[in-house]
Amino acid sequence: MGWRLSKFNVVSMVFGFSFLYLPIVLLVVYSFNASRLVTVWSGFSTVWYRELWNNRGLLDAAWVTLRVGVLSASVATVLGTMAAIALARYKRFTGRTLMTGMVYAPLVMPEVITGLSLLLFFVAVDFDRGFWTVTLAHISFTMCFVTVVVQSRLISFDRSLEDAAMDLGATPTVTFFQITLPLIWPAVAAGWMLAFTLSLDDLVIASFTTGPGATTLPMKIYSQVRLGVTPEINAVCTILIAIVSVGVVIATLLNKRRLVRQARNERLAAEG
Amino acid sequence: MKSLGSIRRDFAPWIDPASSPFLRFEDVTKRFGDFEAVDDLSLSIFESEFFALLGPSGCGKSTLLRMLAGFEMPTSGRIILDGEDMAGIPPYRRPVNMMFQSYALFPHMSVAKNIAFGLKQERMAKGEISDRVQQVLKLVKLEDYAKRKPDQLSGGQRQRVALARSLAKRPKVLLLDEPLGALDKKLREETQFELADLQHQLHTTFIMVTHDQEEAMTLADRIAVMDKGRILQVAPPAEIYEAPKSRFVADFVGNVNVFDGTVRSATGGRVTIETTGGFDIVAERDVGVEVGQRVSYVLRPEKLKIAAEPISGPNVMEGEVWDIAYFGPVTSFHIRLDTGAIVKVAMVNATRQSPLQLTWHDRAFVTFDEDAGLVVTQ
Repeated sequence: MGWRLSKFNVVSMVFGFSFLYLPIVLLVVYSFNASRLVTVWSGFSTVWYRELWNNRGLLDAAWVTLRVGVLSASVATVLGTMAAIALARYKRFTGRTLMTGMVYAPLVMPEVITGLSLLLFFVAVDFDRGFWTVTLAHISFTMCFVTVVVQSRLISFDRSLEDAAMDLGATPTVTFFQITLPLIWPAVAAGWMLAFTLSLDDLVIASFTTGPGATTLPMKIYSQVRLGVTPEINAVCTILIAIVSVGVVIATLLNKRRLVRQARNERLAAEG
Repeated sequence: MKSLGSIRRDFAPWIDPASSPFLRFEDVTKRFGDFEAVDDLSLSIFESEFFALLGPSGCGKSTLLRMLAGFEMPTSGRIILDGEDMAGIPPYRRPVNMMFQSYALFPHMSVAKNIAFGLKQERMAKGEISDRVQQVLKLVKLEDYAKRKPDQLSGGQRQRVALARSLAKRPKVLLLDEPLGALDKKLREETQFELADLQHQLHTTFIMVTHDQEEAMTLADRIAVMDKGRILQVAPPAEIYEAPKSRFVADFVGNVNVFDGTVRSATGGRVTIETTGGFDIVAERDVGVEVGQRVSYVLRPEKLKIAAEPISGPNVMEGEVWDIAYFGPVTSFHIRLDTGAIVKVAMVNATRQSPLQLTWHDRAFVTFDEDAGLVVTQ
């Protein structure tokens, strides 16, 4: 018996996907519009991408965002992984419950509150606001996401692998870098990607903690949109969508390849 | 009593007063919170001995092994290996290696890299490492698999890689945690013999933890039967089987009939036991017992003889055939005595056609010699 879609299924799928993707498709299409008016189509053109190249303000903002994203994601990954190891490995230590709560709190904390409290803190310690304050703020709110991702991987980690490495003469440090880290690497990488994406797209916390000369891309876009949507913004967003899509496609392909290899290995093992 | 030796006829350092133990556990106790995993245990193991720790799960045998490997520290007591106190020495500096129950092969490394891992930690020269890897791969007959990853190997091959990896550093003691536990029955039997051969060839001291009595019996020079953190008996396999010191040991190792009773008389070399089942047992006396003492008589099923006709003499029981199980080499009978107790009898099928024609619900007579079983007081 073949699998066929009923009329209801077709209609609901069309509506569902339209709702999700039509706005994005529109944005991409209008980024290639020749007209300056966002809602009037007047022919295909890449003029706004060229314009974008000359728009220093947007390019600077993108560069700031990239630097903040890479730096904060990297630091958050290191700290988040360390927290995950502590929580996954040590089931009983003083203040464990408190630590768990404090690590996970930013996950549910409204961004406005996180942003405001960070702002108050930076003002209190008289820290000049700018690139570093945004980076610090991003580290503090993305770290918990890394912890969640890495901890879930560590729970299924076979600890006898670490015992075996130590039994064979590896010190705890060598064991971590040669056995544990290579094996939890996909989770750590996923944590980094997540932290990077969150940092890339954050508007609220960045607005609170930034200072002169450190305008991030979301802030720039937001402030420009208030003066009216220009096709340049569409072009920037299209580039961002392209980057994210390429990332997703690569991740899917890698995963697929891993599954194929796993199936082949199982066959090989069965053949002896 | 007759002496029951080890499998290797000329190897018995534990009875030689001149030989000193290679490894000693001295009054070792290990507590996890309130739970006493190992309870004031002392044990001596000799060089190039194949030693088995046998017991039910939770008896403390794995904890003992993990303390030796350095993953757990004794709460009190000392572990002395080759004259060196192991206290405070971390696992990565101990001259012992362990083969893990799950094998714990590093999935991101090839077979050769797995084996070389321990050697690299010693900063051994590259050429020497590859020579040693080849050597141990040959030992476990896996020369052609050096480049494979663990998930490209079958269960039996993984087991051999794990063994090769733990032998590569030439440890003073090799620890084996349920080494054959994950293999299927047929493969387990083959691997048992390979493991025994390997040990005789290398003369390394092997300590194995197992809950499988058959595995312990086939492989070990001596077995320590453990229960609740204590050692109940340490002896060669034949002695464990034929001369268990307690009911638990008799029951845990192999099949056994246990008759509880009181000593009615103990004269000369004989003891008469009045069992709770109402019949008397006349047995050879090899432990000191007093009249009136509560004892148990343990009797292996294959030491009993079964007949369809009445038999005269002492030590005869009569009952109904309750169950018959044919295993091929032996047939097992369950005879239900009139008291309701079940007696297990194993008959060796020495000829193709059994002269004994017994079937369900027939009357059957069971007898045994005076030295067939053993009086135990614990």
